[in-house]
Amino acid sequence: MRHQLSLKIGPASFRIGSAWREPIELLTKLYADYPQTSDEVSDFTVRLEPTSLLRRWVRPSIFITGDHGLADAAPMSLSHGLLAAEMGMNLQMALGWRRHLLLHASSVEKDGRALVMTGESGSGKSTLAAQLGERGWRLMGDEFALLDLVTGAVFPFPRLVSLKNGAIDVIAGEAPAERMGPLLAGTAKGDIRHLAPRADAVTRMEEGVRPALLLFPRFGHAEAVRLVGQGEVFMRLTQASTNYVALGEAGFGALTRFVQDVPARAIDFPSGEAAIALVERLWEELG
Amino acid sequence: MTAERRYHQDCNAALRELEDITLLYHRASGQTHMVISPVPEILEALGDRPATATEVHARLERRYDLGEPEQVIAEIEAHLAGLVALGVVRGA
Repeated sequence: MRHQLSLKIGPASFRIGSAWREPIELLTKLYADYPQTSDEVSDFTVRLEPTSLLRRWVRPSIFITGDHGLADAAPMSLSHGLLAAEMGMNLQMALGWRRHLLLHASSVEKDGRALVMTGESGSGKSTLAAQLGERGWRLMGDEFALLDLVTGAVFPFPRLVSLKNGAIDVIAGEAPAERMGPLLAGTAKGDIRHLAPRADAVTRMEEGVRPALLLFPRFGHAEAVRLVGQGEVFMRLTQASTNYVALGEAGFGALTRFVQDVPARAIDFPSGEAAIALVERLWEELG
Repeated sequence: MTAERRYHQDCNAALRELEDITLLYHRASGQTHMVISPVPEILEALGDRPATATEVHARLERRYDLGEPEQVIAEIEAHLAGLVALGVVRGA
């Protein structure tokens, strides 16, 4: 490809190629602190290609492709090239990673233990992780938590945090401008702005930790905490994992161990501040 | 009278008990099943010794207060048939 970037995020290495300069320039700036892996073999390749030869110049339209693809991935405009690259990396990871059990969850670390948060898009898990990451916790990832199949430790995958709509102003008020990407307005998921994690999240991205608490956050409701039974946790986590079935018995063993060892709560909260206070209180109660 | 059907466990399954449910991972198919009482008890009673529903009942009766035998044996038979459908138990 004409423009390229190779980098490592957590345990995975990516080679991102693009027919256009802009997306690679943006990625290079936002991933400046991440290890570059130009001479190594990459786990995944992501390619941003024009939908047709003409579309490289005339109203440029991007088609995401790579080692693993989805037939119905819709083309995107060049102004959303950064988002296309991020989506491409997520897609490769979700469809191709086999070394860990992949949970669609955000995770943060404090005191050598991990807090894992999972839920639907819009539940607040990503924003909450980003906020905690700006307030003394180590951000491990906003999209995927990697569960080690042998030790049960959670490993980070700290790619850029994808902030959507209302979350953008919340985080822009806390994080310095140089760690924020450009505003991508009017994408299929609304307005999106990316946040590069703090330096400690990047330098410690190969450090796994023991999971200590699992939360199912739900934004926009009166404050409440509910115990979640192990059967329900197991069912929700199989739905939140993109590779549980592919991993076979190794995945079964890792997930049942996680469910048996890690206490789980569903939390409702009306605002980000309420959520942070609630999380800190639940964390203290763990002792 | 036709002979009672004998069953044996497909030993290719892993059981893991959670607080409120038992998980059954069937290695041959890679499928995970969530089961509740009395299925784990029936599987345990079946163990690695092929048995009819009546024999499974006899093994369970030593440990549990089961009530009217005829009805319970019919229920065990129905559960075993369900487990055969999942591939976890086979007709001997």
